[in-house]
Amino acid sequence: MHELSLAQGLIDQLKELAGAHKATRIMTVRVNIGTMAGIVVDSFVFGFNAVKTETNCVREAQLKITEVDGDDLILAQVIME
Amino acid sequence: MCDACGCHTNDDATEKIVEVHQSLLAANLEQAQKNRQHIEAMGAVAINMISSPGSGKTTLLEHTIDYIGDKFRIGVIEGDIETERDANRIRAKGIPVVQLTTGGACHLDAPLVHKGLHALEKQSKDGTFDLIFIENVGNLVCPASFDLGEHNRIILLSVPEGSDKPAKYPTTFNGAQALIITKTDLLSYFDFSVEEAVREALHLNPDLAVVELSATQGLGMEAWTAYLDDVLVNR
Repeated sequence: MHELSLAQGLIDQLKELAGAHKATRIMTVRVNIGTMAGIVVDSFVFGFNAVKTETNCVREAQLKITEVDGDDLILAQVIME
Repeated sequence: MCDACGCHTNDDATEKIVEVHQSLLAANLEQAQKNRQHIEAMGAVAINMISSPGSGKTTLLEHTIDYIGDKFRIGVIEGDIETERDANRIRAKGIPVVQLTTGGACHLDAPLVHKGLHALEKQSKDGTFDLIFIENVGNLVCPASFDLGEHNRIILLSVPEGSDKPAKYPTTFNGAQALIITKTDLLSYFDFSVEEAVREALHLNPDLAVVELSATQGLGMEAWTAYLDDVLVNR
């Protein structure tokens, strides 16, 4: 699949959420990855950690992945301040 | 913790837990559905052409325009990483065309095609078309994962590439409505087994239509235009 562009999409979504909630920092991001989604978890985490450094409010975000049934990629929860 | 001095004065102030539960894959699909509606509003059927680089997508379009360009109002959206070369070839045929350059992405996606549709609309007097061909970036892998809003997806496989490709790229061939075997004029120079390619592709996808052609030599073009007639009739 396209782990790096998915990671970029996630970061774009996090920036929007931070703006909507007037938060300055995203601390934790919980993502559920379906085992049939065709996504290589390591590559996704690698891509996220590489791209997050470019954006101040996401720079320190810790990505926590839970593997679930199904074929989707869900942004479950965000902890921000 | 305070970044300046390490104290914990403001720790309890502002931590917020936000439950989101949004699909990250849904975004492209949503835009693709909108594209599909937009294409229908333009009166058209859109065909997503996927293949390896050099399989003959642009050449097939050039010859298709020669065969049916007077009968149907054709529009083309070209996708490449760089250059406008393909769009220039189509433009030389007098057909409305838009070039999308990704600058790096190895596939078109629905948001890019959305922009392409708006640009293409402006090139038609009343914003309508019969057939919109979307020529994807040359790549037999990644385009398969991205719905663009098309009605039909066709995979081109050229004789020099080898007849083992359907088996090696199942996702690509599985998601398509037609397999177009191109450059059949070269069959005597290569070990390409049409029987193997068709058998393996149909094994993955029994509903696949199959057309064998050589656009440059004018072989199989009637079967190809008949396929297009069929797609238009069944829209």
